[in-house]
Amino acid sequence: MNSITFYSLVKREVSRFSKVAIQTIFAPLISTGLYLIIFSYSFKSREVVGYGIPYISFIVPGLIMMSLIQNSFANTSSSLIGAKYNGNIVDFLLAPFSYIELTLGFMIGGIVRGMLVGSVIYLVSILFYGGEIVHPLLALLFAFLVSSIFSLLGIIAGLWAEKFDHVSIFSNFFITPLTFLSGVFYSVKGLPGIWSKVSLFNPVFYMVDATRYAFIGQSDVNPSFSLVIIGGLAVGLLLLVTYLFKIGYKVKS
Amino acid sequence: MSVAIEIQNINKKYGDLEALKDINLTINRGEFFGLLGPNGAGKSTLIGILGGLVNKDFGRITVLGKDIISNYRETKKSLGIVPQEVTFDPYFNVRETLEIQSGYFGIKNNDEKINELLKALDLTDKAEIGPRQLSGGMKRRLLIAKALVHNPEIIVLDEPTAGVDVELRNSLWDYVIKLNSQGKTIILTTHYLEEAETLCDRIAIMNKGEIVKIDTKENLINSIDKKVVSVKFADSVIGLAEKLEGTSCKIDEEENRIEIEASKNDLNDLLKFINNLDLHIVDMNIESAKLEDVFIKLTNLGGDRDE
Repeated sequence: MNSITFYSLVKREVSRFSKVAIQTIFAPLISTGLYLIIFSYSFKSREVVGYGIPYISFIVPGLIMMSLIQNSFANTSSSLIGAKYNGNIVDFLLAPFSYIELTLGFMIGGIVRGMLVGSVIYLVSILFYGGEIVHPLLALLFAFLVSSIFSLLGIIAGLWAEKFDHVSIFSNFFITPLTFLSGVFYSVKGLPGIWSKVSLFNPVFYMVDATRYAFIGQSDVNPSFSLVIIGGLAVGLLLLVTYLFKIGYKVKS
Repeated sequence: MSVAIEIQNINKKYGDLEALKDINLTINRGEFFGLLGPNGAGKSTLIGILGGLVNKDFGRITVLGKDIISNYRETKKSLGIVPQEVTFDPYFNVRETLEIQSGYFGIKNNDEKINELLKALDLTDKAEIGPRQLSGGMKRRLLIAKALVHNPEIIVLDEPTAGVDVELRNSLWDYVIKLNSQGKTIILTTHYLEEAETLCDRIAIMNKGEIVKIDTKENLINSIDKKVVSVKFADSVIGLAEKLEGTSCKIDEEENRIEIEASKNDLNDLLKFINNLDLHIVDMNIESAKLEDVFIKLTNLGGDRDE
């Protein structure tokens, strides 16, 4: 791996979203801030069944994870579809990047944005729930792995998409439903009948649940099991994206 | 002379369309090589394969002796390709674009080269401007600067002067000629055949996915047996059409000028014939064939093919 080549791609990716920080960092803060205000006001006295904690403490890890997912995905997908649209995708193809450098370079750009937005939202959430994190290093590890996964999914979406609308299909039909049904706002243990079992097939559930464990020390499933699933997904997607760059999926004719 | 690029049996199909049919080509180091052909001839596909923008179906290409697939990182560093399509990264101004591009090629602190390119391509006063504010010609010059920022050994210019005004076109060619004189290999595709005629040492003419002729510029031009004799008379040329019947002739009755095409062997007879017209000649010009004539003959009429 050539360190200057790789660093230049990471720098390009981070500079790209930093130049439009209002749209990439502060806009997500507004939407998640509204969730925090509404839920902290509406369910002030509500406790989550089986957890024995205030509702706002329960949803903060999920809200942070949701923003992190959306932003890491948005960063890589918009970077690639934008590069295809403007034609500057050729810059990445003509330059001497190895396939793993391309994968990691774009991925780290998405991780930085995802974790930056997640951190800003965490700082704001301190005002609403106090800011306690039971296992801070674990929280960082999960944030890193989850933003990696969605950065990689964003690369796949960006490569696959032929226009900007295609990225929204990916986002609206897969990312958003899986996130909203992952237990961000509720405990899946409380779901009726088969639905609690169905939730176990949603990979985002393990991401939210594991993060919740890191924040409050409680979760619906064993966090080690979640870590295996999240880590496995991250490695699998890393290999898949590297392969897609190697074959020039939808970027080479 | 060592080899810069060796292309062996390259084939490429898009569905049923054979974009490249068994292309074989050797380009030597230090050459100024022209790759000419009409739209759809396969020039850009060939350049795309060379740069890693297009996957080949079959064949092999080496750059400075290294395979472009198994040694792609090294071969890409040796190539500076200016793509035909004007592209830009909207987030970065001209200087930032060139700094990032230098980084992609593993070069840090490349200010000296960047400044040299900005000056040579007349972009110095546009260095801090975003690409959306650049005109079409400026965007194309930025593309050229990007391709040269890592000081490549081989420079591939795919229609580099389309949309660039004459003055800047000339300054661009001065710069490219300078690079060539420093030993850089230049490969040029252009629709401006007079540019290729002026600049290139050797030329390959492509048509419908095949190379129909490769030769030196002089040999290509000499392969066309054609002279055009243009004569301006003091007297009226009205009525001359009858006398010139059977020749390939254009008559301008307002300017009192005639233009006759002839083979080299017929030139002597033609000049005697003009002299015998008994008209007062005020100006005469004899032109040889041009690269354009070769191009038209090989791409429209088929014929002489290198097998």
